[in-house]
Amino acid sequence: MATFRKALKSKQRNHHERAQLSSRNYLGLLEKKKDYKLRATDYHKKQNVLSALRKKAMDKNPDEFYYKMCSSRLEDGEHRANRESWDVEVTEEQKKMMKTQDIKYVEMKRLQDAKKIERMKAELHLLDAKGKEKNKHTFFVDTKKEVQRFDLADHLNTAPELVGRVYNRPTLDTLRTKKIQGATDTRSVEKLAKQRSHQYTILTQRIVRERKLYVIGQKIQTQREIQDKTRKVKVSNETKEAAAVYKFDSKRKR
Amino acid sequence: MRPEFSPRGERGGRGSFRGRGSFGDRGGSRGGFGDRGGSRGGFGDRGGSRGGFGDRGGFRGGRGGSFRSPEGGGFRGRGGGRGAPRGRGGFGAGRKVVVEPHRHEGVFICRGKEDALVTKNMAVGESVYGEKRISVEEGETKIEYRAWNPFRSKLAAAILGGVDQIHIKPGAKVMYLGAASGTTVSHVSDIVGPEGLVYAVEFSHRSGRDLLNVAKKRTNIIPIIEDARHPHKYRMLVGMVDVIFADVAQPDQTRIVALNAHNFLKNGGHFVISIKANCIDSTAAPEAVFASEVKKMGAENMKPQEQLTLEPYERDHAIVVGIYRPPAKQKK
Repeated sequence: MATFRKALKSKQRNHHERAQLSSRNYLGLLEKKKDYKLRATDYHKKQNVLSALRKKAMDKNPDEFYYKMCSSRLEDGEHRANRESWDVEVTEEQKKMMKTQDIKYVEMKRLQDAKKIERMKAELHLLDAKGKEKNKHTFFVDTKKEVQRFDLADHLNTAPELVGRVYNRPTLDTLRTKKIQGATDTRSVEKLAKQRSHQYTILTQRIVRERKLYVIGQKIQTQREIQDKTRKVKVSNETKEAAAVYKFDSKRKR
Repeated sequence: MRPEFSPRGERGGRGSFRGRGSFGDRGGSRGGFGDRGGSRGGFGDRGGSRGGFGDRGGFRGGRGGSFRSPEGGGFRGRGGGRGAPRGRGGFGAGRKVVVEPHRHEGVFICRGKEDALVTKNMAVGESVYGEKRISVEEGETKIEYRAWNPFRSKLAAAILGGVDQIHIKPGAKVMYLGAASGTTVSHVSDIVGPEGLVYAVEFSHRSGRDLLNVAKKRTNIIPIIEDARHPHKYRMLVGMVDVIFADVAQPDQTRIVALNAHNFLKNGGHFVISIKANCIDSTAAPEAVFASEVKKMGAENMKPQEQLTLEPYERDHAIVVGIYRPPAKQKK
């Protein structure tokens, strides 16, 4: 029988919660049970915490002693921890050690980026990337006349509209005989172009970050080294792009 | 593309997900034959939630059906080789790319998610220095390409910089001075193909060892571990060549190239020299260094035809391409 009842249930319409009436649309979306539930549990949780705290405060005995009182005090009725007793003594040696660890971590992160950049560069060859450095192409010819008559498209034996496409200027012969392989329909070409530009964005970000990490590493290194007691003169100040430079007195070491 | 892996006939191009899809599907069909998972799946088809439920049921059925089957072997056999090694590396299996032929024969530009200069791989399935590979299927035939990194190879940088001629083409005999570990040499060997030859000269034993390993896989490379300053030491190995490529980074590199050209380069043959300004004279301006080198070439019967700097891939580098002992000009 249960089977039949269940089967019947499959014919039932599912219950749907009422949506906001169009006439009351200006009030925004109508809250559903699910949303109410979240709000209510959150509210009750907070209320419970408040009441617990209140109860604790009321139960407190002002004459009671706690050991924590030795290392803290009240200021205007507010509890203040006595920081000095918390502060751990850090020796010069330990400070240096901590700096070393910092440097090591930064360096590790930088190397990770550098490696990734290297790997990405192996397949992203800046074919028509914008703002890349321009190279200089010189042709040597015999006579002045040839210089005057020089036509790049003609010299390279390519179509004039391809002259600017430096990374590949197929010869007229190539254009005639060879054909492009792979996904050549416009939709996939567009899709691939989008993916490619995304890859370039990632590459740029990584390069920027690698450089930043390098600067950070240098700065920590300098901070570590100026803790040294030898006499030194500051040669240049710290900038955004570089660490400060110090000149140390040369000291003979055994 | 792999049609055997597309049970639902949608979502092109994601090879790796497809295997799983087929797996789930298979389970579904088994489930349909009355075992538990299947009947649950069957009930799922009410209202609008058909897809999700049906799928889940199918998946369960599949699990019960195939993993626990005592025969065991069924899973692999019908899975269409899901875990089988496919021998495909690099840019990813069956991902879409566009491969356009380059101005220089034997070189291609591959544009997909990647943006790369490539050559057709002669030793299919092998990477020489960990470079990416990509295979493209045109109907029945499958062609594998290897990415050629212009940040590592001067020749690749020159090609992407738009050099007019490299004179290295299928069937050419090339002498490569300064072959190092054979990274660029492997691409040159790809370009010249089985008909061509590459004489790869390298002085250092250490990188020469890598070069030998490259040459083992590629029959058109003849490795020569000798000083390029003494061409008589390897004159017995080398025949006439059509083009000399030099990347030796020595102060007297023009002389080295000239020596080899006098010995092995045919009249009217070509040379391609990569010049690192720092290696010739680190104090002079790069432009001046290039000019002085070009002048030296003129004295050696080598006539430069074009010069190209290699930004943005290399700093203060130039490639000079020219002709050796050009044929006399005919009077009109």
